[in-house]
Amino acid sequence: MDARRVLIVDDDPDIVVYLTSFLEDNGYETRAAADGADALAVVAEFRPDAVLTDVLLPGRSGLDLLVTLRHDRRTADLAVVVMTGMDQVLQDDGHSYLTSHADIRGPDAVIGKPIDPHDLLEVLERVCALSPVPAR
Amino acid sequence: MTERYRQYFEEMPCYLSVHDPSFRIIDGNQRFRQDFGERVGDFCYRVYKGRDEVCDNCPVAATFATGESHASEQTLINLRGEQMPVMVHTTPVRNDGGEVVAVMEMHTDIRVAKRLQDQLRRSQEKLSQLFEEVPCYISVQGPDRVILHANRKFRETFGPALGEHCYRVYKHRDEQCLYCPSQQAFKDGSVQRHEEVVTSAWGEKINVLCTTAPIRNAAGETEAVIEMSTDITEIRKLQSQLTSIGLLVGSISHGIKGLLTGLDGGIYMVNSGFEKNRPERVTQGWEMVQRNVERIRSMVLDILYYAKDRELEVADIDAGKLAAEITESFQKRATDQSVELSLALDGDVRLVPGDAKAVRAMLVNLIENSLDACRADGHKPAHRVRFAVRRSPPWMEFEVEDNGIGMDQETREKIFSLFFSSKGISGTGLGLFISNKIADKHGGGIEVDSEPGRGTRFVVRLPLEARPSTHPEPVPPADAVATH
Repeated sequence: MDARRVLIVDDDPDIVVYLTSFLEDNGYETRAAADGADALAVVAEFRPDAVLTDVLLPGRSGLDLLVTLRHDRRTADLAVVVMTGMDQVLQDDGHSYLTSHADIRGPDAVIGKPIDPHDLLEVLERVCALSPVPAR
Repeated sequence: MTERYRQYFEEMPCYLSVHDPSFRIIDGNQRFRQDFGERVGDFCYRVYKGRDEVCDNCPVAATFATGESHASEQTLINLRGEQMPVMVHTTPVRNDGGEVVAVMEMHTDIRVAKRLQDQLRRSQEKLSQLFEEVPCYISVQGPDRVILHANRKFRETFGPALGEHCYRVYKHRDEQCLYCPSQQAFKDGSVQRHEEVVTSAWGEKINVLCTTAPIRNAAGETEAVIEMSTDITEIRKLQSQLTSIGLLVGSISHGIKGLLTGLDGGIYMVNSGFEKNRPERVTQGWEMVQRNVERIRSMVLDILYYAKDRELEVADIDAGKLAAEITESFQKRATDQSVELSLALDGDVRLVPGDAKAVRAMLVNLIENSLDACRADGHKPAHRVRFAVRRSPPWMEFEVEDNGIGMDQETREKIFSLFFSSKGISGTGLGLFISNKIADKHGGGIEVDSEPGRGTRFVVRLPLEARPSTHPEPVPPADAVATH
């Protein structure tokens, strides 16, 4: 079976390097995007099993990216894991933002920063197992 | 006089006296005798006022002269020496030929009315004093929004406002405000409460809590509106500071979590590099550790600067030398990032007055921002940051220009707000806020020009002649502070 693919969306290059190396060391194939617009382009071409996105990005936010993916029939079921250091944002602004899009499914998982590597592997394994294998 | 009329005359509850043309009293009723004595035959001015000659404006003399009734207010002195304010009415007494042969004078005791009048005057004075001295801005406005009355505090703060439109006086506007509580009070007679930011005669912004209420006439129609505004600027400042502290705590926590993730990444790369015997990974990881430690240091300094709102220590700064030092200190980082960092010094760059530490912190922050913007931009083959210093009287200009990721308009408008960060996890949201504050404290400013994908240009202008900040500390509304 092919390696599972994860798209990492973060504007901090250090975090991208870290997650890319860590996930590849653990058998994942990865690609990275620095913002939401980049991420959408990579999703179309790379067809990942899961998107691992930061919330605060330049331009459109990670939550905005989630809403866009969910509204597109082709990516609506794609597993999306949100990672953030600002838990409060997710609880307050994030919650009300997602509530205003009540028609969509929220993130498949939320991971706090700093990231616990074991948690991350567990979460990715779980969401990728549930996620339908994209046609490539 | 028939006996019955005589009885009426006697019993009248006022002083009645009849006077001949020489001002002698020829008759008087019971109350007259009771309070002024058996004085028939004596001159009225002597009886009523203790005078030796006819009074000025004597109503009896006027009635003799005109044959008409007269009314006036007088003060009499009774037998006991008490002063009695009275209302005097005179009427002519004519003979069969129609000649005025005598004048009847009626004095009504108005002591009670007078007392009430005095009380009324005193209350009016007290009310007026209260209106004047209330430590709030009070004005009364007519239906056309023209100020009819204003109290002392109002006049002292907004100028002699009578006859002016409220929107001109309060907000220096030429037209009515979008929402006018005064108009609402005229419309439905309701009491309105709301918060406003108004401007004093000398341009100071004042946060006020404003209450308006209708003033109705006897028919219940609203004739005017009274507006009372309380200065809550200090409260808003405190509230804003408290909000800032709350946000600061959140921002610090957010920033630290991001930096810890970066440090974790560095440590992972170093450890896994050793395990896998990949020296390039160790090097990369160690750089990540160094970079994130540097970021923590920078963040702590930002927080310290923010926490301690110190006064500037102004001295002459050698702008060229400072710029060269800063550029030198960033060269290694720029090279590591494959960014070409250059410095252009105008030949005429010399001294500029300023706080060396603060100006240095501000310029370091702008260059860090530019390097971050280049690092976040993966679309261009080569990146550059150009630092230029030039003398452009009355300013010394410091320009930092990059061809990094750039900013959209929304970001551009928010960058100087506290805790706004376009850098996601890596920004603390303090840097540009503090930089702007430093420039402002020097009496200068920062201009930004940016376009997404093209890059950003910051121009800091510091006055060549030392001068204090021209901008009063603004108090942003609670919802104006960006949190991400």
